[in-house]
Amino acid sequence: MMELFPRKQVIGFGFSLLLTAIALAVYFFDLSFTAGMTILLVTAFVQAAVQLVVFMHAGETGDKGSIYTNIYYSLAIALVTVFGTLLCMIWGYV
Amino acid sequence: MKIDHSLPLEYGTDQNQLNILGFWIFLGAEIMLFGTLFASYFTLVDRTGSGPSGAEIFEITPVLIETIVLLTSSFVIGLGVHAMRIGRTKAMITFYAITLLLGLTFLGVEIYEFMHYVHIGAGLQVSAFTAILLTTLGTHGAHVTFGLVWGFFIILQVRKHGITPETANKSFIFSLYWHFLDVVWIFIFSFVYLKGMM
Repeated sequence: MMELFPRKQVIGFGFSLLLTAIALAVYFFDLSFTAGMTILLVTAFVQAAVQLVVFMHAGETGDKGSIYTNIYYSLAIALVTVFGTLLCMIWGYV
Repeated sequence: MKIDHSLPLEYGTDQNQLNILGFWIFLGAEIMLFGTLFASYFTLVDRTGSGPSGAEIFEITPVLIETIVLLTSSFVIGLGVHAMRIGRTKAMITFYAITLLLGLTFLGVEIYEFMHYVHIGAGLQVSAFTAILLTTLGTHGAHVTFGLVWGFFIILQVRKHGITPETANKSFIFSLYWHFLDVVWIFIFSFVYLKGMM
């Protein structure tokens, strides 16, 4: 039975629950916008990295380079889309 | 068919490796798709018109249930892939079935949430904010719905053929999709709900 629950994945799951609990701090405590957003940005991106490495097995095989290049590329496009939009639609008018 | 036994079964053949890389490229396109949805959401989040704002309609309980359920399902399908790699067909099917049940629970809560929004006057046509909110959540929910159908047929194939290079490859690719849905949800949970309730 134990061999069905690999240590690495159980720890990864515990860690992702912990990150969720930390993110909840912005709901239960009265934090400033900057402090809250910092917590959310850190927990969300760490959480995504945990999923990627522990559960999606990125980087276990020979095509590791192609997989990571592809993820970084699409992530860069997504971030440019989000922050570029914020820049010209919101921040530019403040 | 040449099978490389030094690799997990789902990577064993050249075709399998290409399938997995191809699916990663598809996930890259999905990241960009959700990137545009988030960009639109952040632009329209304050355009509430005469409708309610996020802080007025979001409730922590259903959101927390959805988050825990989806995180757990992502963990359980990870166990399913592990069981598959050590050749435990029964355990693998059980884990995949639990994953789908959790996915169904998530969907149930989300449908309840949507009905609740419409009920309290935050339907799709009320304001730019409710439109982009329900579009973003709905796109994720549609992905989960599609995943449930896909996963069901994966289980049927594994039951019929056992763990072969083909079924292992399909099951692994499905697990990638499912983990990806969880990653997207993490961002919705953080930057739609928690930011809205902050």
